[in-house]
Formats: sequence, C-alpha cells, structure tokens
Amino acid sequence: MTDAQSTTMMSGRYQRAFTIAVVVLVAGWHLAGGGGQLLQYRPDYASFAFQAVVWLVLAVAIGVGSVLMLRGSLDWRLAWAIAIVALVASTASAAESPAGHMLAVNWAWGSAGWTAVLVLHRRRLAELAWFLAVEATAIFSVQVWDGLDRLDLAAFLALLAWSTGAQIAVAAAVKALDAAADRAAAAARSEDAARERAATAEIIQAARQARWLALQESTVPLVAELAAGADPGDEQLRVRCAVQAARLRRLMAEGDELPGSLVHELHASADVAELRGIAVEIETAGVLPQVPGPARRVITDAAIAILTAARSQARITLATVAAGIAVSFVADTGSVVLLPAADQGVAIEHQQDGGTLWAEARWNNG
Amino acid sequence: MEQRVTVAIVEDHPVVTEGVASWIRADPGQRVQLVHTARDLTGLHGEARPSADVIILDLELSGELVTSQIPGLVAAGYRVVAFSGHSDPAIVMETLDSGAHAYVSKEEGSDHLVEAVLAAAADRPYVTRSQARAMLSDQRPGRPELSQQELQALLLWFQGMSKASVGRRMSISENTVRQYISRARAKYAATGRTAPSKDALLARAIEDGVIKPGEIMPYTSFARAAANRPSLGAPGQ
Repeated sequence: MTDAQSTTMMSGRYQRAFTIAVVVLVAGWHLAGGGGQLLQYRPDYASFAFQAVVWLVLAVAIGVGSVLMLRGSLDWRLAWAIAIVALVASTASAAESPAGHMLAVNWAWGSAGWTAVLVLHRRRLAELAWFLAVEATAIFSVQVWDGLDRLDLAAFLALLAWSTGAQIAVAAAVKALDAAADRAAAAARSEDAARERAATAEIIQAARQARWLALQESTVPLVAELAAGADPGDEQLRVRCAVQAARLRRLMAEGDELPGSLVHELHASADVAELRGIAVEIETAGVLPQVPGPARRVITDAAIAILTAARSQARITLATVAAGIAVSFVADTGSVVLLPAADQGVAIEHQQDGGTLWAEARWNNG
Repeated sequence: MEQRVTVAIVEDHPVVTEGVASWIRADPGQRVQLVHTARDLTGLHGEARPSADVIILDLELSGELVTSQIPGLVAAGYRVVAFSGHSDPAIVMETLDSGAHAYVSKEEGSDHLVEAVLAAAADRPYVTRSQARAMLSDQRPGRPELSQQELQALLLWFQGMSKASVGRRMSISENTVRQYISRARAKYAATGRTAPSKDALLARAIEDGVIKPGEIMPYTSFARAAANRPSLGAPGQ
C-alpha cells in the first residue's frame, strides 16, 4: 500500500464516522423533533393524513439519502433530487398548515432543512446555503399568501435564525472535521515515513561500515604497495588494479539500494571494463528473483574476474531458471580465468571453446 | 543454380536502409537481391505492390509501432523479417505471433539479417538470440510447452554461445542443437493467432522432420515434451 492510499484510508475512516453522526442527527430530528411536533399539533392540521404522508415522504428521502451517503454512491444529481423532494414536501406541508399559527405547527421546515444537510454536507457549503435560502423563501411566500402579520414575521425570523443557523453550523463543522482528519492522517504518515527513513538510514550506515572494512582488506594494501614504489608497468599489478577498480565501483553500486540490484551491480562492473574499451552487453530474460547480498557478491566476483580478463567483448545474461537465476558470461578471455569457488548457494560452471570462455553462475532459491 | 531471394526493405531511416543494403551486397554467395526500398507501408498494399519474397520490416516507422500491420503483409503473400531496435520480449512475441518469420534486433543485424531472410524465404525457422530471450521470458498462459532440452538449448544460445559450443555443452551435435531450437520455434508457430506464414513454417518443419504433427497439438504437447525425445529424422539444413 502506498503512503497516499493509507492516508486516504485513515481520513476516510474519520469521514465515515462524521457521516454516521450526521445520519443519526438528521434521523433523530425527523423522528423526535418533526414527528413529535406533528403528533403534538395533530388536531390543528387541516388534514393530518396529508401531513403524515409528507412526513413519510421525508422519512423515505432521509433513509435513501443515508444509505447512499454511507455507501459513498451519492452523486450530485441524486443529492439534489433528494433535496428537491424535501423542498417540495416542506412547501406543501407549509401550504397545508393552518394560516396564522403556521410556524408553531410547521414541523417540515426543520426536517427538510436537515434532509438537505444530510445529502449536501459533503458538497460545497454554498449549495446548502442556496437550498436553505430557497426553502425559507418558499415558506415565507406561503406566509405572505396566507396574510402576513408582525408576529408571524418575528416568528419566521427567529426560526430562520435558529434552524438555518444550526444546519449551516453542522455542515460547516463536518467540513472542518474532515479537514482536520486529513491533516491528522498526513501528520501520521509523515511520522511513519520519518521512522522508516531512520531505519533505512541505519541499515545503509551498517552496509557502509561493512564496505569500508572490505576496502581495508583489499584496496588499501594495493594502494600502499603503489605508494611504496611498486611498478605500475607490471602486468600483474595492473590486473590487480583493474580488479580493485571494479570492486570499488561495485561497492558504490551496492550502496545505491536500487531494485533489481544484481543487474545494477553487474552494470557497475561492466562500467569499469568499458572504460578499458571492452564492449559489454547485459541482457535479462524473465522476471528475475531477488538474490541475497552474499550470493550477489559471489556472482559479481565472477563477473569482475571475467571482465578483467576479457580482451574486447563480453556478454552477460541473467535468466530466470526453474529454482533461481542463471547468470552467464561469454567473453573473449583468450585463456582460462580463475573463477571464484561455489559458495552462498551459487554454483559456477564454465567451458572454454578456443579463445571464448562461457561461464554460468547459478543461484538456487533455497 | 537456385534463384536469388528477392527482398524489400521498409525502413524510415535511410542510413539504416543503406546499412542493410550493404550487408546484402557483402553476402559472399550473393544469395539475396534487393528489389525495393520504402520508408513506409503505403506502397505495399493494392495491385501495384512490388513483388518480393521477403520484407525486412522496421517495426517502428515514423515513431509508430507497426506490428499490427504484419498480418496484412503476410496475407498479401510477403514473408516478414522484423528488424528493430526494440528487443523487449513482449514486442518480439507480438511480432512473431502476428506472423513474422523471424525477429532480428538491430545489434544482431550484421550477423543474422541475411541468414534470417534466407531462412524466411524457405519457410524455415530462424531464431536469433533476442527471439530466444523472448521465448525464455514468455509467461503467457497460452505458451507452448517446451522440453527441458529445448529450453536448455535456447538458454545457452541466448547466453551467447555459438551453436557448436552449445552442442559441446549439451553433449549433442550442432545439428541437434539447431533442431531443438527450431522445434521450439515451430511450437510457437502452432500457437496463438493463425497466419499463413505460420502454417507454412510449420508445414516446412514437419517436412524437414524438425517436429512431428503430434508434437504440435496444443494439449498433447505437454506429455510429449516431458518425454524429452532427442532429434528426429533428417536435419533441416
């Protein structure tokens, strides 16, 4: 899993919890608030049956909206379809409420507003604001139609402030919590990444230490010999220098920590040979397995021995075989090359055909 | 005296065309005759198309892969030898599956292109190291079942040994090495999409004794391949 995915998952969990909280709030309001008011003023409605049907329509809208919201399959069309159902229900309920004390008995304004909060709270806040404004205007128009007086207007403004204010506040709070969850997840991720980096740094440090020790054993004595006046024209000494140069390059390659590092290390060994004018081809066949470090060293030691002896060209191939990998070398070495002994699960075979050497290092997985 | 094999080169880089032409000229036996060069495939369709036994086709013309055009060329009666800078095994497989006789990477050109053209003209398999690599890398579920000997010969050939050295390594004759490699190629001709060129290659392989008809049945080949039989019949070349 990538870091981005885990962050998304983590903040996704929080967001789901917030959605559930909104669902509970809205359903609770519709049941206890809207439903309670409806029952309390039952005798006051022109038609209680009509109000009950509207209440049921809103209950279904809330139910459908909740399921879609929790499933994450509520697109803008569905969200607005549900919001418009709620708007129509609220306006119809208001129109069917008794004039005069409509606001006291009107349960639907609140429920419809909360329904809109439910389906629109993950969308831009402006959309919810528009909905609530249109809903309030519709209620107000019904009141004007019924004949508005000062008391009605005062009640309307009070309710508007209370209900709409609470709805906007809930939607805004969810938005703020979402943002906070994102930030928390990002912070947790960067903490994880920091821990991982520290662990990697430790491993790299240890590997560096090991490489430095390896240099002490091989390269340092050679440099000391040269400093003490060994003859650089001596063929033997030049071969030893070439081998050490290749090893140094390999040590650097080992530090690069790239995937497929055997290929990478062989390329590094080839670099040194290429500087001496040897044409080196490297080809792979199949999806290569990861070879452990010590086995890689045996293989690259063989590569260094052969590439150092090559006169003009060498071909290195890596192929997946039944239980591991076959790394082969074909080079015009002219004569027999001293190859490393089998070790670390690597078996080495070779065949000399005239001036051409074929050698194969096979590492078996287990 | 046998008739010379006629060849057309389709290649968008004139320098490469010139290089290929020079390899053809340098053939000691002058066995191949260059009859046509083109920078794209437009002239190779329709009535007025040039007659040539084999087309040497650069797989990438003006920056676009043309593997999907190979079936059309094969249907028009050409044998196709793909010659490409791409040596990605998936592209090699796609090329062969589309009906090309052989695949030669640009690095292999000077050693193998003329021989591959001659083999294609005779409907005989020609397996370059890049083709061997593609066969060894092949993990598709519909791939043919190759015997241990065929796989070993392909592997050593891919690794860069001469066929004589492969023979020494496997304690078999050089001809048997060719036979194993050709048989692996013929098994590939028997799988995947159908193409007249693949049928011709297979028919010739059967005629040459490289492979028996029973060995190419998709579902019986597994058991037969496991039986690991040595060379059959007379060598092909």
